[in-house]
Amino acid sequence: MKKLYGIVGLLVVFSLALTACGGGGGGAFKVGLVTDMGGIDDKSFNATAYAGVEKAIAELGVEGKYLESTQQSDYAKNLQQVLDEETNVIVTVGFLLGVDTATAAKANPDQNFAIVDYAYPDCWPGAVEGKECGSATELPNVLGLTFATDQAAFLAGYAAAASTQTGKVATFGGINIPTVTIFMKGFEAGVKYYNQQKGANVELLGWNTAANEGSFTGNFDSLDDGRSFAESFVQEGADIIMPVAGPVGLGSAAYCKETSACKIVGVDTDWTVSAAEYTDIILTSVIKNMDVAVFDAIKAAKEGTFKGGVYVGTLPNNGVALAKVAGATAELTAELEAIKAALIDGSLTVDSMLK
Amino acid sequence: MNTATHEIETIAFRRTRSTYGLVLLGFGLFIFLVFGLNTPAGVFTTFGTNLAGSQAITISDLVVPSQATIFAMAAIAAFFGAFQLARGIRSTGWLAGVIAITFIVSFLTWAAADKSFNLTGMLSSSLVRATPIALAALCGVISERSAVINIGIEGIMLLSAQVAVVTATVIGNSYLGLVCAILFGGLVAAFHAWLVIRFKVDQVVSGVAINIVGAGVTAFISSRFLAANINGLNNAAVFPTISIPLLSQIPILGPVLFENNIIVFLTILLVLALHILLFYTPWGLRTRAVGEHPKAADTLGVNVFFVRYVNVILGGMIAGLGGAYFTIGSVGRFDEMMTAGKGFIGLAAMIFGKWNPLGAYTSSMIFGFADSLQVKLQILRTPIPSEFLLMAPYLITMLVLTGVIGRAIPPAADGQPYEKQ
Repeated sequence: MKKLYGIVGLLVVFSLALTACGGGGGGAFKVGLVTDMGGIDDKSFNATAYAGVEKAIAELGVEGKYLESTQQSDYAKNLQQVLDEETNVIVTVGFLLGVDTATAAKANPDQNFAIVDYAYPDCWPGAVEGKECGSATELPNVLGLTFATDQAAFLAGYAAAASTQTGKVATFGGINIPTVTIFMKGFEAGVKYYNQQKGANVELLGWNTAANEGSFTGNFDSLDDGRSFAESFVQEGADIIMPVAGPVGLGSAAYCKETSACKIVGVDTDWTVSAAEYTDIILTSVIKNMDVAVFDAIKAAKEGTFKGGVYVGTLPNNGVALAKVAGATAELTAELEAIKAALIDGSLTVDSMLK
Repeated sequence: MNTATHEIETIAFRRTRSTYGLVLLGFGLFIFLVFGLNTPAGVFTTFGTNLAGSQAITISDLVVPSQATIFAMAAIAAFFGAFQLARGIRSTGWLAGVIAITFIVSFLTWAAADKSFNLTGMLSSSLVRATPIALAALCGVISERSAVINIGIEGIMLLSAQVAVVTATVIGNSYLGLVCAILFGGLVAAFHAWLVIRFKVDQVVSGVAINIVGAGVTAFISSRFLAANINGLNNAAVFPTISIPLLSQIPILGPVLFENNIIVFLTILLVLALHILLFYTPWGLRTRAVGEHPKAADTLGVNVFFVRYVNVILGGMIAGLGGAYFTIGSVGRFDEMMTAGKGFIGLAAMIFGKWNPLGAYTSSMIFGFADSLQVKLQILRTPIPSEFLLMAPYLITMLVLTGVIGRAIPPAADGQPYEKQ
């Protein structure tokens, strides 16, 4: 009887260890990565960031490890665990880790951190430091890796508006947080720009910047939700959907593949590569080259040139990009090139379309 | 004495009568003020009745004048309120029904004023979304009816979801994947039963352990093996939609009830079968006896342990079917934590359904309905924030079930290990 409790206990400990397991490598320079919810192989967010670490393992010979967070209360715990391992650089993935990363960085001023999708200072007037926001000042040991995703999403919105057969396109997010909605804002701006240029009337379902409201699944786990959202959007007449919810979007892709009723705009990575089984129904992808940014941060740390601050991935520095648009006409390709150039030189801005 | 009791009853009855009457009147006023006055006159709401790709005979969409419909709903609620105050209707179910229908109709008409809204689509997805919750609830019902608590349903579903997709991909046949998932669910439940019946391990502890092990093992297999070989291990065909001839051609009802995949149909059959089994067969009587008073059952020659083993394992197999829904019944692939708490919601549905298969299914349907309603409302962009809409399934279920169903009493011996003397 006592023994059985022991066995059950051991099993529990064993599987907790499995949930948060890591990879290894050779060399003395250590990199630790803490994921957001959704798992390391979520085909988007965490996977891309870890791809940067893997690249560093392969090319720089560093030792890399990751810890998976399955819920928000894991963040601080996992960070502490990585800190205890005495790693050289700690990479945290995701907006939601912003506060915990700042707290850890302030407690360990000699430890280098890189955080994907976040930057400091992040406090607004009246916010409680360490609780509602991370830090009121810039942290010298943290490099924030941020991305002007809205620029690439603008192009995707334009491409989607040009490709829709039904005159309706759609998007939905996981949670209403800035790193998710920036995709949706850019997408909306792109659709509006298309309407303005072509005198068309393509409608966007699922997001409205003026109201700061849209459709959200409320999680980054349930693929069944992704399927259900896609189904509802199709019922309401949309035929192109951009899911900004990590693996949840794969549920939408599965629905589109099964019914051939819709096409998907992938996010974070090029889905024709990372989710190749859905290539047929992928219109294009809004690529956020997190792997490149993470790799560069690790490289800088290894070479001793690491500096805190903010990195912004943009269209010109290839931090963000639009993947090849499936079935694009020569005309659309040319237009997208022109828009990209206009976005780069600033003659066209995302914000101007959202007013 | 007799007269006194009668008088007390009458007073109590009058009090409920006036409460319900006032609530209904208030409801009518609420609908009028909030939805009616906020809807511009001369605007129409379109309820889509056809589903693309379905066999049903196409009928024209339901187009109603928004404001007039809402005013009509307000009038109906107020009329029933006044009628209730004056005469009294004894059935609270009826009154709750009036509240629910007038509220939902006026709410939808208001939300979709000047827009369109696919009603059939929403009803159809309600049924589908209720399926995994219902299966989890049924698993809970049949094991708790024999007094074994199983809170490891979430873990069992997660494990069988993975087993289903891997076997279906490797063998190349989703139906065999389904069988494997069901058997695996039964196996995990058998382990639970062995721990709690043979060794009297605390039932909650064992259930929690299954949940944690399930999350850990599936995450490990997923990131170590499935991620590396998606096409060979994690890319199964989803069950095709089965259309029942003739019945599926009925407008609205056809696509909702008679065009679904095998898991949805199996769930409906299971609910009916379990209801009959539990309440109209010797096996059901034994199960209930074991759950209420195991000692009495034992005295009468019922093998308490055997009944419990059978029930828990059967429950596990049902949860296994629920797990298969997530992968081969929906998206054809496995991802970590993809059951997203449906197993726990199923447990809630079991309680709200009073440990009764039909009740559990009804509660799951309310969850499913609120869930698909929430998705539609988000798309319609009502002034209600999305975070609040995401809470809607839980809020509505709590309101409806606490308000209408009342107290739920578990089987008397629920959770207690049986010691043979």
